[in-house]
Amino acid sequence: MKDLVRQKLSIHVDIMDLLNKQIEKEAHSSSAYLAMASWCDHNALSYSADFFYEQSLEEREHMMKIFRYINDNGGTAFSPEVNNINHDFKSLEEIFETALDQEISITKSIHNLVGKCRKLNDYTTEHFLQWFIQEQMEEEQTMRRALELFDLMGTDGLGLKLLDERIPQIREKRPE
Amino acid sequence: MKVLHQSQFFTSYQCDKKRCFFIAFPHKTIQLGFCQLLAFRQQVNKIDLETHFNGKNHHGMEMLMLCNRQHFFIFNTLESIDLKEFITGTFTMLELNSLLTTSA
Ligand SMILES: [Fe+2]
Ligand SMILES: [Fe+2]
Repeated sequence: MKDLVRQKLSIHVDIMDLLNKQIEKEAHSSSAYLAMASWCDHNALSYSADFFYEQSLEEREHMMKIFRYINDNGGTAFSPEVNNINHDFKSLEEIFETALDQEISITKSIHNLVGKCRKLNDYTTEHFLQWFIQEQMEEEQTMRRALELFDLMGTDGLGLKLLDERIPQIREKRPE
Repeated sequence: MKVLHQSQFFTSYQCDKKRCFFIAFPHKTIQLGFCQLLAFRQQVNKIDLETHFNGKNHHGMEMLMLCNRQHFFIFNTLESIDLKEFITGTFTMLELNSLLTTSA
């Protein structure tokens, strides 16, 4: 019997399912960051707001990368439904902590996917995911740099304003 | 045409010559391309059997549209349970076949 599945699909079906799950997670991240951006906007933290608008866009790009990868390889990507987006935060610090936790859980999910690729000998997807591994490392570092600012600067009175102004810099990579 | 998997109500076949799949339902047999088979699988995976037992699905029916809405199916609870087993079985056989053809 011919291997029709392989003729049509260059990735493993189980991997395709996990990639579709990852699409949902990236979409969820994108919306979650948008909610954070909105909170920052309402609280007059415009630099942080811009940071999260940008972050939201990036997550959508991650999602689209996976989306296209599935379809380009003969699979079917499913447009994600997003729900359970939290809009209530008590402080900017809480937002960045939530953001870090979110990135950590995405990292875990990517690592889990790579593990599964190895188990199923899907080297194509493993190679594809290398970019995400690097990206996740950088994302976690960015969020950690934000939290370091809170440790250093404090958020009393003017402190929070000054901290907000420093937010654009957390994206910049440290000199090598 | 070779049988891939047979469950209580359904049978799946692969046709090497036409490079497609067939599924025999109790009252009709339909032809599917691989993408359509994937779409079918997605719809079946999305069926939440629990709703049949906790009262959320009052009528106990599942409605599926297949192959760009060419076909419309209604399944009762028993058939829905069987359908899930059927899809898993069919894809397991496809995977087995993949393993056999790669190692050959
Ligand atoms: Fe991401
Ligand atoms: Fe991210």
